[in-house]
Amino acid sequence: MPVDVGKFIKAPDYDIKVITYRDVFQAVACEEDYTGDECREMSAVIVLDAAEMKRMGFHEGKNVRLTSKWGSVVVMIKKSPREEQKGLGFMVNSPWSNALVSDEMLNGIPEFKDIEVKITGSNDEITSIKELFML
Amino acid sequence: MTEMVTWTCTGCALLCEDIQVRVDNNRIEQVEHACLKGKARIFGCKHVAVPAVNGAGVSIDDAINEAARILKGAKNPLLYGWSNSTSEAQMAGIELARTLGGVLDSTSSFCQGITINEIIKGTIPSCTLEEVREQADVMIFWGANPMSSHPRHLSRYSYFPRGELRQRGYEEDRTAISIDVWQSRTAKICKDKFYRIPPGGDAEFMRGLMDGLSGRVPKLSFDFDVKRILELAAVLKKAEFGVIFAGLGLVYSMKEDFGLLSEFMDTLNRFSNYSLIPMAGHFNMRGFNQNLYDETGYIYRVKFVDGKAASGVEFSVVEQIKHGADAVLVVGSDPLASLPASISRRLKDIPVILIDPCMNLTSQVADVTIPCSTSGIEVGGTAVRMDGKSMEISPLVQGVNMSDEMVIKRIIEEVG
Ligand code: SF4
Repeated sequence: MPVDVGKFIKAPDYDIKVITYRDVFQAVACEEDYTGDECREMSAVIVLDAAEMKRMGFHEGKNVRLTSKWGSVVVMIKKSPREEQKGLGFMVNSPWSNALVSDEMLNGIPEFKDIEVKITGSNDEITSIKELFML
Repeated sequence: MTEMVTWTCTGCALLCEDIQVRVDNNRIEQVEHACLKGKARIFGCKHVAVPAVNGAGVSIDDAINEAARILKGAKNPLLYGWSNSTSEAQMAGIELARTLGGVLDSTSSFCQGITINEIIKGTIPSCTLEEVREQADVMIFWGANPMSSHPRHLSRYSYFPRGELRQRGYEEDRTAISIDVWQSRTAKICKDKFYRIPPGGDAEFMRGLMDGLSGRVPKLSFDFDVKRILELAAVLKKAEFGVIFAGLGLVYSMKEDFGLLSEFMDTLNRFSNYSLIPMAGHFNMRGFNQNLYDETGYIYRVKFVDGKAASGVEFSVVEQIKHGADAVLVVGSDPLASLPASISRRLKDIPVILIDPCMNLTSQVADVTIPCSTSGIEVGGTAVRMDGKSMEISPLVQGVNMSDEMVIKRIIEEVG
C-alpha cells in the first residue's frame, strides 16, 4: 500500500494576534441559543486579510486550528473585505475566542481582545460547544 | 384587550424609552422602534429555564431551599452577575452578600467598571446623553462600536439627530471620529475620521494626541502619519462640546495605564468642554456600580466580613472562580459563555446556582436552576442608563415566575 507521506508532514503554523470584536447579529443568535448551529456558524470564524491568507496558503472557507497556551479551537476562515493590519486575525467575541484567553492577569481583567495564537490549516471539524467545555 | 404602550427597552444600557409595543391578552404582538437587539430581548429566549436540582426537575420551593442550603454551607460564596437585574434586585443581592459574609461582583468587573469608577468618584467628567444630543459637535468613538453594541446610539443621541445647538445635524454640525484597530461599522460612518491604530497602541496614540494638543510634534513607535494626528488635535481643540465614548477596546488596552485617561481629559478640557461616557453593555451594569457604591463606598469586587465591606482585585469574579469561591450564585449572567474557558471550566468543580429566565451555557453546569421573570419585560423597577441617569421601567406582560428580587429575598429568609 502506498504511504501517504503528507500525513507525516506537519502543516506550517504562523504566529498571529487574535483581536475580538462584537457583532449584533451574532450576539442575538447566540443569546437565543448558544448550542444552536447559527451561533456556531457566526462565532467559529476568523477574519483574515487577503494578503495574509495568501502568505499562509489559506483560502476562504478553509478550516484552521488556533492554538494558544490555554486552549485550541478549529474555526473557519473568512476573508476581510478590507486591507487589515498584518499579523492580525479578527474573531467575534464568543466562547470560541474565549477558549484561547489566558487565565493569568494582574487586575482582574483578562486579555479578551489581544490573544497570541498559532494558526495552522486543519482538516478537523469546527469545534462544537460541547467539545469546548467538555460537557 | 389590545393596547399600544410606550416602553423602555432593556436590551442594552441605552435604555431607549420610545419603544412602542402592542400587547394583546398578555402577549407581545408588535414592537416598533426597537433595534434587532431590543426585539430579541422583548421576544425572549428559545429555551426557558425550569426549576432543577442536579438536572432533575423540582418545585421552585425545593430549588430555593437547595440554593439556600448550598450558600449557607459555603465558606466563601461568590454572588455574581447582576447587570441584567433591576436596582431593586441588586439591592437584595447586596443584602444577601452581607448576610452570608460573601463576595459580590458583577460583569462590570471585566467590562466598564474601571471607567465607571473614575466617573462616580469624579476624576473623569461625564455628561448625559440628552446633552450629547442637544449640544455635542465632536464625538470620539474610541475602541467602541455602538452600531453593534448599542445599535440606536448614533441615531437617537450621538450623531444623526438634530439637536438644540446642532440643527444641521451630522451633515454639517457634528464630527464623528473613530479610533480603533479595525474599521468597524461605526468607523465606516466616521469615513476619513477613522484612525486605525495597532493593538495596544491606544495609550501611545493618546500621548501623541496630547502632544499635538499642546503644540508638540508627536513621536510614535509605530508607523502613523503625524500630520493626521496634528489635524485631529486641531479638530478636538475647536470643539464646543466634545464627548468620548469609551468602548471596551480602549478600556482593555489602557487597563494598566488608566490614569492617563484622566490626564487626557484634563488636557482636552484646557481647550474646550469634554466629557466621557462609558459604553456600558448590559442594561443595568451602571446601576449595580452606583448602588453598591452608595451602600459600601466601592463599585464592585466586594467581600463582606461582619457586615463591613472590603474591596480588592482578589475579590474580582475571575480571581474568585480561579481559586477563592467554594459556591457561586449567578444572577442573570452566563459566565461559561463570557469568561475565558481557562477560568470558567472551574465552575464544573464547585456548586453553581443559576437564577435566570433562560437556559444558557452556564445551565449546563448549574447544580441548581431557579427560573425568574425577565427584568424589564415581566417585572419592572429602576435601572441606571450608561450615562448615569436613573430610569423607571414598567413591565409589559405578567410572567409565570417570580422576579429575581423575590427569589433573592426568599433565599435571604432561608439563610438568615
Ligand atoms: S439600542 Fe439598546 S435600548 Fe435601544 S432598542 Fe436597541 S437594545 Fe434596546
